[in-house]
Amino acid sequence: MVLVKLAISSLYNRRASVFLTLLTIAISVMLLLSIERVRVDAKSSFSNTISGTDLIVGARTGDIQLLLSSVFRIGHANNGVSWQSYQYIKQQRGVKWSIPLSLGDSHKGQAVLGTSADYFQHYKFAKKQPLSFSQGRPFQHLNEVVLGAQVAKSLGYSLGDSIIISHGMGNTSFHHHDDNPFTVVGVLNATGTPVDKTLHIPLAAIEQIHSTNHTSHEHEHEHEHEHEHEHEHEHEHEKPTDLIGNPKQITAFLIGFDSPLYTLQVRRNINQFKDEALLAIMPGVTLRELWEMLTIVEKILLLFSIVVVLVSLLGMLTTLLANLNQRRRELAILRSVGARPWHLFALISIESLLTTFLGCLAGCGLFYLLMALASGYLQSHAGITITIAMLSSYELMLIGAIMAAGFIVGLIPASRAYFYSLSDGMSIKI
Amino acid sequence: MMIDIKQLSFKWQKHQIKPTLAIASLEVIKGEHVFLHGPSGCGKSTLLALLAGINQPTSGTLKILDCELNQLSNSKRDAFRADHIGYIFQNFNLLPYLSPLENVTLGCQFSKLRQKKALTTSSSLHQEASRLLNALGLDEQFHQQNVANLSIGQQQRVAAARAFIGSPELIIADEPTSALDSNNRQAFIKLLFEQAQAANSTLVFVSHDDSLQPLFNRNIDLIALQEQV
Repeated sequence: MVLVKLAISSLYNRRASVFLTLLTIAISVMLLLSIERVRVDAKSSFSNTISGTDLIVGARTGDIQLLLSSVFRIGHANNGVSWQSYQYIKQQRGVKWSIPLSLGDSHKGQAVLGTSADYFQHYKFAKKQPLSFSQGRPFQHLNEVVLGAQVAKSLGYSLGDSIIISHGMGNTSFHHHDDNPFTVVGVLNATGTPVDKTLHIPLAAIEQIHSTNHTSHEHEHEHEHEHEHEHEHEHEHEKPTDLIGNPKQITAFLIGFDSPLYTLQVRRNINQFKDEALLAIMPGVTLRELWEMLTIVEKILLLFSIVVVLVSLLGMLTTLLANLNQRRRELAILRSVGARPWHLFALISIESLLTTFLGCLAGCGLFYLLMALASGYLQSHAGITITIAMLSSYELMLIGAIMAAGFIVGLIPASRAYFYSLSDGMSIKI
Repeated sequence: MMIDIKQLSFKWQKHQIKPTLAIASLEVIKGEHVFLHGPSGCGKSTLLALLAGINQPTSGTLKILDCELNQLSNSKRDAFRADHIGYIFQNFNLLPYLSPLENVTLGCQFSKLRQKKALTTSSSLHQEASRLLNALGLDEQFHQQNVANLSIGQQQRVAAARAFIGSPELIIADEPTSALDSNNRQAFIKLLFEQAQAANSTLVFVSHDDSLQPLFNRNIDLIALQEQV
């Protein structure tokens, strides 16, 4: 107890240099924890983005490019899938449901997705959770829009608001379709996936935005048969109930089968489809491939942060050793009042342990601060949902490892103190 | 008998031809105030290290309080020092990160015996430390100050109080007055005597300054002592 008190007083006495040592340790701990947390959360965000979908079909590009453009809204597909091909494939044996996706438009920087009402029924994320509404209902008319949670929150929209969809991506579109206002009829619950950042409108409305003759006012009749969109073969463009329309092409579509056994067979058929160069991917497999690509980056980051931790501990070692020479008098005084060599060993060990402990503590504080500050940015720019939760057991283990490393590093000056105290004895040599 | 040395010799290295220190006989009885003097390099520090049990004699016996130090294990010797010996250094006596009061109580942190003894005169260690500091002429106002703000003379008073707390039987002072001017030197030594008397301690005072001789009731010339061999 005396030793702990002595160590604390001694550290406090040298607070300026101790503070700097502490800061370097804290920053390294923060880096390590942040990289670890972002890695884990990025992984779960990625793998939670889509589930329950057996195939994603788009124009032939790379597997990962298709996944990124169709699910993550990152980049865009150069080509689309022709409507005919989609019609043909969705009638294959075993296809339980299909969702057409049409991307490429935006509203104030947020992606606009043209789709069918099936989307709200069959699109699933995380552990096969369906989308749910926090307010309102799915779209039933051409001029209705359903917002992702993030869109509603960041742009401050609520039910009944009227918004304008512009053509093309980005905040500053060259031409706004001022005469095509959409009414917000539904807001989805947060999912932690790109769905949160998406505005969902009927597929037919996409086409309408792009067409020059504005006939939107004709679609504003009330009617109850929203299920009619399942009968796409009716292709009656002027019929207000038709939310699908008859587009020339769509960006991609999702397929769910009656049984997963169909997946490989249909996938092969699509990849060898003669009329059009198409690509079908299994989202789970491609997500894993994507993740494996990222693991190299992640490992390099982890390596760097471990090096930063080591450098900070070496910094502590340098300070401790440099101070020790000046502290030989102190050691002799302690010896003179009856402290044994191992007391001095313990004193220096406690000092290094306390420094690393406080450094780790401060590092955790900085880590939470950084996560709180960065979570919004990561969510909106990288689609990574950061969980500001307690430290995981792995993170605690990392901190434990740093503490252990700090303790081991501290043994070097501690053992020097031990031997100084034996050789110097009572004579103060400095 | 406080200190009893017989046929003692000490060599730093095994194969050293001439011993660093060789004393045929030295006896100091309890309560004596001994002035041990000699020029630099005559082995004063070596003798003090032997008395404090930091080093052990190469041959011969050294008894303190009838206890033969080289028979004890290292940790027992450390405990013996903590219990029975108070040590005052030449200068830089205090831990800079403790207050004067804490520096004084440090004297009995490693010894249960001295804590117990200190508590027979005062109700708490702090009170006893405060009492000793007052007795040694350090005013109350300095007790909680940063030690760096104290003068050398004040620092030596604190160091003396640390040596005296818990009334150890033997006080070793290693040139404690070398940084003081002659007026302060005499005043400080008088205070040491008073406290040694009050605590019934034996004082071994080491210096190369022969002018202090008249103040002590026993003078030992270390050069002469070694020539007896």
